[in-house]
Amino acid sequence: MAKLILLLLNWIFLCCNVAAVFEDQVGKFDWRQQYVGKVRFSHFDSHMQSSKKVLLASESNVFAALNTRTGELFWRHVDKTGPEGNIDALLQHGQDAVLVIGNGHLLRSWDIGVGGMNWEMVLDPGSFRSACLVGHQGAVKHLAVLKKTVISLHYLSNGHQKWVENLPESETVDFQAVYSGGNGEVYALGVVPNSHLAIVVYSLEDGEITKQVSVEAPWLSSIPASCSVISRGLLTCVDSTTMSLYTLDLHLQLEMTQIPLQTLGLDVDPGFRPSLVSHQPNPAHPPLSEFLLQLGPEHHLLLQHNDGQIVTLRDYKPALLASFATAGEKTVVAVMAPKNKTFYLLHDGKPEKLHVQAFLKKDDSVGYRVMVQTEDHTLTFIQQPGRVMWTREEALSDVVTMEMVDLPLTGAQAELEGEFGKKADGLMSMVMKRLSSQLIMLQAWIAHLWKLFYDARKPRSQVKNDVSIENLSRDEFNLQKMMVLVTASGKLFGIDSKTGDILWKHYLENIPLNAAFKLMVQRTTAHFPHPPQCTLLIKDKDTGLATLHVFNPIFGRRSQVTPPALPQPILQSLLLPLMDQDYAKVLLLVDDQYKVSAFPSTKNVLQQLQETASSIFFYLADSGQGRLSGYRLRTDLSTEQVWEVVIPTETQKIVSIKGKRSNEHVHSQGRVMGDRSVLYKYLNPNLLAVVTESTDLHQERSFIGILLIDGVTGRIIHEAVQRKARGPVHVVHSENWVVYEYWSTKSRRNEFSVIELYEGMDLYNSTVFSSLDRPHAPQVLQQSYIFPSSISTMEATLTEKGITSRHLLVGLPSGGILSLPKMFLDPRRPEVISEQSREENLIPYAPELIIRTEWFINYNQTVSRVRGIYTAPSGLESTCLVVAYGLDIYHTRVYPSKQFDVLKDDYDYMLISSVLFALFFATMISKRLAEVKLLNRAWR
Amino acid sequence: MASPGGQGGGALSTRGGGGARRMKWALELSVGNTRSRSDRQGGQGDVVYPIGYSEKPVPDTSIQETDKNLVEKRCWDVALGPLKQIPMNLFIMYMSGNTISIFPIMMVCMMAWRPIQALMSMSATFKLLESSSQQWLQGLVYLIGNLLGAALAIYKCQSMGLLPTHSSDWLAFIEPPQRMEIMGGGMVL
Repeated sequence: MAKLILLLLNWIFLCCNVAAVFEDQVGKFDWRQQYVGKVRFSHFDSHMQSSKKVLLASESNVFAALNTRTGELFWRHVDKTGPEGNIDALLQHGQDAVLVIGNGHLLRSWDIGVGGMNWEMVLDPGSFRSACLVGHQGAVKHLAVLKKTVISLHYLSNGHQKWVENLPESETVDFQAVYSGGNGEVYALGVVPNSHLAIVVYSLEDGEITKQVSVEAPWLSSIPASCSVISRGLLTCVDSTTMSLYTLDLHLQLEMTQIPLQTLGLDVDPGFRPSLVSHQPNPAHPPLSEFLLQLGPEHHLLLQHNDGQIVTLRDYKPALLASFATAGEKTVVAVMAPKNKTFYLLHDGKPEKLHVQAFLKKDDSVGYRVMVQTEDHTLTFIQQPGRVMWTREEALSDVVTMEMVDLPLTGAQAELEGEFGKKADGLMSMVMKRLSSQLIMLQAWIAHLWKLFYDARKPRSQVKNDVSIENLSRDEFNLQKMMVLVTASGKLFGIDSKTGDILWKHYLENIPLNAAFKLMVQRTTAHFPHPPQCTLLIKDKDTGLATLHVFNPIFGRRSQVTPPALPQPILQSLLLPLMDQDYAKVLLLVDDQYKVSAFPSTKNVLQQLQETASSIFFYLADSGQGRLSGYRLRTDLSTEQVWEVVIPTETQKIVSIKGKRSNEHVHSQGRVMGDRSVLYKYLNPNLLAVVTESTDLHQERSFIGILLIDGVTGRIIHEAVQRKARGPVHVVHSENWVVYEYWSTKSRRNEFSVIELYEGMDLYNSTVFSSLDRPHAPQVLQQSYIFPSSISTMEATLTEKGITSRHLLVGLPSGGILSLPKMFLDPRRPEVISEQSREENLIPYAPELIIRTEWFINYNQTVSRVRGIYTAPSGLESTCLVVAYGLDIYHTRVYPSKQFDVLKDDYDYMLISSVLFALFFATMISKRLAEVKLLNRAWR
Repeated sequence: MASPGGQGGGALSTRGGGGARRMKWALELSVGNTRSRSDRQGGQGDVVYPIGYSEKPVPDTSIQETDKNLVEKRCWDVALGPLKQIPMNLFIMYMSGNTISIFPIMMVCMMAWRPIQALMSMSATFKLLESSSQQWLQGLVYLIGNLLGAALAIYKCQSMGLLPTHSSDWLAFIEPPQRMEIMGGGMVL
């Protein structure tokens, strides 16, 4: 019976917690953008005249088909991350696309029409070198895969192996390319660097070696980099040291013919490595005799091989990129010249690749469309007359960090704000100012009303909600914000959080490959007329040198403020709550000499810094040395070390450190117990959660550690070690709790653990918090739970005032984002329920945390490979804005305590107002009736 | 006691000199006389007594000693009223329980409001008790009764948990403490 009651209680409790989306709310508050990543291979589907697909295989191990008319995805397949899912080659023939995956581990064939898989074959081990389609007698039925030691031939229809042969002398010869010209032979080309070229010819039928030759080529080091096969099996190579073209007939294999470039009247740009591009429209036929030779960064040549002679057909200079494309019997060369209009359109980043789609028009002339890939991973699709049809910002598939910035107020609001911001100068002028601003507001209001009226007359479909940078303004509840995203390629984006439109983009050139980014909001939009200001710290991890990019987050423009030059390597930065006279928060940069420089560094700031220096502390964690140290600022902006904690690197390493978010507010300073006393929270703003993992990964000996350290004093508040546990550990640190998730190797499951800190039944000091004056250690409570899934990332919701209860947003590898109430992760959950715990609304302890499908905030909008979740408060206390980023970007709103401050979406205004009016009139009428009746009675 | 009907009738009959036609009704007090004649004759000393006039003397109605006791009794009634209600209130309190729902709340409100109202209108009650000889004692008893009633209501509030007597009731008013140190940093970038 007790169990039943408990169950019922639980059920009732859970019922109150359901937060799902209604069908008609789909897409109303949320949006998703799907990306592919940096494109490695692309193929236009040309086997059908009307096809509008382009196949993309990306460096993020994604294979997708795009609609060439709109740039939207037809379908997408996301493979494993890392080398396991790496796409080595993409071959397309007719309706099939074949991928070689994972360094030649898998062979997969896809139907490009629907995106379904035809077959999958596991290949023999060996590192992948090259693959090509093999045609014979006009039909393409096979596929050759060259690995380091073997070559194999597979049927295109079902993937079965036709034959597999070991490569001769594979210990010395590095086989790099495979070629087939449609004559029933497969050529494997290998090289012994700086010595000779080895050619092995296999028969298509049974894989027998028909020929095996080696040709002297002391200048050759890599075949794919400098060689290419043209017209009827003529291997052509270019060499920069001897400044020559070399040709070799693969059928005769006598020796290489050297053609010095000078004899052709050509010259290689100094320091440039020339390259060759040939084109084989159909694998069943030999390649074209025309080929492209690149001699400089902006110099391309179209050459033709004609009866042993090489003829220059055309010289393209300047030309950035050149590419072939075939439609039917016709082949075109597309050349991208820097003076072309399109180049100016693609102002951000140099073009990297040109993908040309040629098609036959109705009058049999050749039309073409071009997809240009630029340095910033953007894909731009251009129609023949130079019209951009669409662009895809693939850089957004790799967001590193982001911030959300409030939009500016409208002109009128800003005017009003400005009025109160300025100093008073006389009563009369104040009144006048007030009147004028009120007038402006009235004007704006009338204009707004007029617009509403005007729009209402138009049919609904025509009313467009155009969002552009000019008319951006904060909405009533501050639900619409500007998302500032920093991507790994160094491109910055400003995205409207309501619609997901990209409002601005800015490409930062010369970003090193392994750069660390840190984005900080120095000035928000609240300080009109000063523009908002964001600062991006970009640090090159190799040299340690850093640069600052200061920009306006609303318009994306570089700010007028010149950032300081940073000659010293920078270790960390620190955004202080101090402001200069222009309301910009002070940024402190710590260099490798532990000296501090301030930005902005005006006199005012330096003075403020001197005054407050004694209360400014910072900590640095060096994972490599296992050192965690705290520093205090001196008045001369030098620092002194205050504390140091050494974590021995032989046994464990620091994985992550989480402090509290600076914009977090905690409304309630304590928790009400069942007997109505208060358990006060230990809200130390300087507390750090340090996670360590053992270096020993043996499942019996591995462990993870959690250290709670005060960042000012270095005092270890709490230490917890989870034995037989392994990372990756995901941590959330907020208010007075730390939640972390790990893999328990002992029980082979994912576990959540929560630590909560309490001061006890009385507050030590309720007015100020100083880490230096804390004699009592807090009470620590901890509980652990089993979670049925592994997780990718975790973050806590955040609201304006911190009144709303907290939820944890958990990104799952399945693509779901789970909103898990913090209530379930509460170390006070009792094992035996009592009157008091029931009074406190504590859920009885159950080791399992259940994933309820209604907790998924992204319903069926799968977000692939979530890497991070960003939460931001909105103007409504109940609402928290959430952005999940990874391969996709997803934005939505969550209401952890439901929308207690907003009327429901389906609130019946009509009914309520009609009832109100009816009651009002009824009152009026009955009042009148009552009067008459009273009068009559008086007469009686 | 004079009958009011006669006087009223007389007054009414004189109203509205505009003519008989306008009158809604008229009462003729003397038979066969027109109104104007009776007016004239009344002035001349015709002995016509008004209705309800009696030539016999009216019996004496002055206050007697027994009534004095009655007043005293009545005053004690007033003074003891609040005290008498207490057992009743106790019973209601017991019946309504400690759960917070609309009916117990309403009862508690009524229980608290009545003594307060009574205390507010203390001066009016004193005026009522003015005629009594034990005015002060009665006033004191009345006051104590009401105070007891109020205390009972407060006790009820307390047992229902409506009084902010616990530290948790003041939790929402605690301001977050001001932080003295500024701290930041992180992993070496």
